[in-house]
Amino acid sequence: MSSLQAPGLPEEDIRARARTGAAAAFPPVAGYGHTLYGPPTGSGGYKDPLQELRIVPPALMPRRLEKLVALGREPLHTDVALGVSIGGFASPLPIFLPAFGSSQAVGPDLATSLASQAGRLGIPMVIGENVVPVHGYGHSDASGQRSLLRRLEAYVESMDEDAGGIVVQQSTEDADAEVWNLLYSEAVTAPLLAGGRLAFELKIGQGAKPGLGGMTVLDGDGAQRLEGQYAIDELSTVGPPRHLRYSSPGTVTAEILGHQIRQMRNNYPLCRIWVKLPPTRDVEEAATVAWDAGADAVTVDGAEGGTGWAPRAFLEQVGLPLAECLRRIGEHPASLCVTGGMWEGTRALKCLALGATAIGLGRAALIAVDEDAEQGLCRLVECLELELRLLISALGKYAPDELDPEDLWLPSAAAAWPGQMTGFGVA
Amino acid sequence: MGADQKYTLTDSETSTAVQGPVGRLPPTPRQHLSSVGTRATLRIQHRLLTAAREYLCNEGFVELLQPIIGPVTDPGTRGSKQVDIDYYGHRYKLMTSGILYKQGALLGFEKIFYIGLNVRLEPPHTVSTSRHLAEFHQIDIEIAGASRAEAMRVASGVVSHAVLRVVEELPEELAGLGRDLAALSGGVAEDFDEISHHEAIELLRKLDRPHSAESEIDWECEELLSRTAQRPFFIVDYPRGCRGFYDRESRTEDGVLRNFDLIAPEGYGELASGSEREFEYRRLIERMRETGENPAKYSWYLEIARGGIPPSAGCGIGVERLTRYVAGLQEIWQASAFPKIPGVPSP
Repeated sequence: MSSLQAPGLPEEDIRARARTGAAAAFPPVAGYGHTLYGPPTGSGGYKDPLQELRIVPPALMPRRLEKLVALGREPLHTDVALGVSIGGFASPLPIFLPAFGSSQAVGPDLATSLASQAGRLGIPMVIGENVVPVHGYGHSDASGQRSLLRRLEAYVESMDEDAGGIVVQQSTEDADAEVWNLLYSEAVTAPLLAGGRLAFELKIGQGAKPGLGGMTVLDGDGAQRLEGQYAIDELSTVGPPRHLRYSSPGTVTAEILGHQIRQMRNNYPLCRIWVKLPPTRDVEEAATVAWDAGADAVTVDGAEGGTGWAPRAFLEQVGLPLAECLRRIGEHPASLCVTGGMWEGTRALKCLALGATAIGLGRAALIAVDEDAEQGLCRLVECLELELRLLISALGKYAPDELDPEDLWLPSAAAAWPGQMTGFGVA
Repeated sequence: MGADQKYTLTDSETSTAVQGPVGRLPPTPRQHLSSVGTRATLRIQHRLLTAAREYLCNEGFVELLQPIIGPVTDPGTRGSKQVDIDYYGHRYKLMTSGILYKQGALLGFEKIFYIGLNVRLEPPHTVSTSRHLAEFHQIDIEIAGASRAEAMRVASGVVSHAVLRVVEELPEELAGLGRDLAALSGGVAEDFDEISHHEAIELLRKLDRPHSAESEIDWECEELLSRTAQRPFFIVDYPRGCRGFYDRESRTEDGVLRNFDLIAPEGYGELASGSEREFEYRRLIERMRETGENPAKYSWYLEIARGGIPPSAGCGIGVERLTRYVAGLQEIWQASAFPKIPGVPSP
């Protein structure tokens, strides 16, 4: 290295690219498998609008009076009814477990532990498109604990009698392996189908890398196994050979999306249909197409969403913040599930107030089971549940669907329009 | 006499017939194969097949032999699974229908048919419909340059001719099975009626069975419609989204397919499906995406389409379903010597 300098340019980053080439477009590969990636805080001037919002209770509470009359006593936070219908499934809480970008980051036991705890909690659980190609379907292969069927079994075995359901994604390439068709005739899913508790989710994209498909880092053997089915690139220039599996994001237009949903409804009449959208500029139009075509739920993953693996450019600079997605979508006719940086009550409440039906615990759920495999997720949810009860009751409300944007205050918007109580009303 | 009214099992058959969760399952292979009813049924089936060949050959069709494996097959609908096989390290499929090959074969002949074997691992609950087998045969017909009307004419011609041959030549077998000959021959004495999918939905509404106008007619409703009819009839114009990518969409009515089902009367339900075909490369790609298919899988077919395949129309007539209707059987498995029943390990 010479003594050449370039003040004003990120010299180190440039030098890193000069050393490692395309690998520098990604986070260090050494972190793969034990890092849950997401947008770096404060990068690129990005400020999460959800963080900026404050929750503002009123003093005068006509809804609390209604509750007082109904109960015949002063209501408490324990009187908040958190049960909701999420994409056609009853759930005791407005919470679900979304698909994980990479379950490589959790040990084999933790994948089933998560499923088992989600089943116990009675909250819906989504299984990602990467599970079958990377961990196997689970019938005849030696795919072990992380396979699709093991996760399903873990959920079903501990499943709440009345609540919850399983949602399964299938990538465009997986259509070749017919994941949905296989599950539709599977013994494990028979009780789910009979109870209307199985859904298929069409994944259009995800928050951390809108416009791109799934990505998984593989070792040499894994890459060889999937060659021909997926695009595989060499990733590392140093150390053991690592490869990147790309799945196609799939091509959609409004017409293709609508018809694909109608086709899914036609082909799987016993299933619910979910659609997962990335935080794109046309998120409102795409969500409307999905609902109009009969989707039971639309999941929007904000730019704050986590991922197993993504180019740094996407983590730092691409996609709408979740709050802006919610503002653009506004009123909607069916379930709207949101994900992106959820772990505690205030962020969850803000999303619910901005129109979400449920919030998804992604990276937080993985960390929780990493902390305590047996009870971590249940305890995380227990704490979140208490916070939600406290916050909702403090607003003089007693159910998530009573929340609305008037419960929130956005300082920057109030500065722009003096006198406006809430700057975050749905346009 | 309808599908729900009878089935002449011998005593030994009924003693071992299993009452499944939703329908009657076959007795042992020995009992099934040696029963008088099965023998009569298979004789009828044999005559139906020879009659279909007579009719089609007289119309100038060439019988070709359908491939049984390929890198890709008809993607199917309603949750039926394909069967994978290892073809020298490549994942191949058993045929679920010969549609892609039929279109390809039109590069050589204008009018072709297969009597082809197909395997579709239907969801186990379809055993309740009495008309699904996991392994079945189709008289699979394709006509270059034809309209839907022409395909419907040929479908009704094959069915009518075959039914009349059996009525004339195998009255004893039919009587032995308790088939109402007057209902059967009366059914094919006139042209078949035609209603649209929209009209079928309206009819169901009047029958107090509201049904989505956007989807395939479900099994129960199809049976109900079938029960209201005295002779076979066509349902046309199914909505896009309930059929494969190859059913051609109307160029004048958005979302309406130029397709048809042929429904048997007396509760026997669907006998055949057909359509005009999509054949233009770009349309095929777009329609594949809508059905969630990965176009890369269909490379050989798309390569042919890119070079140009003739527009066509055609249909597939279910051999076991036609047999069930003609012989008056309660269950579809009765129309097969070695039936494969969805969800049930079978010989």
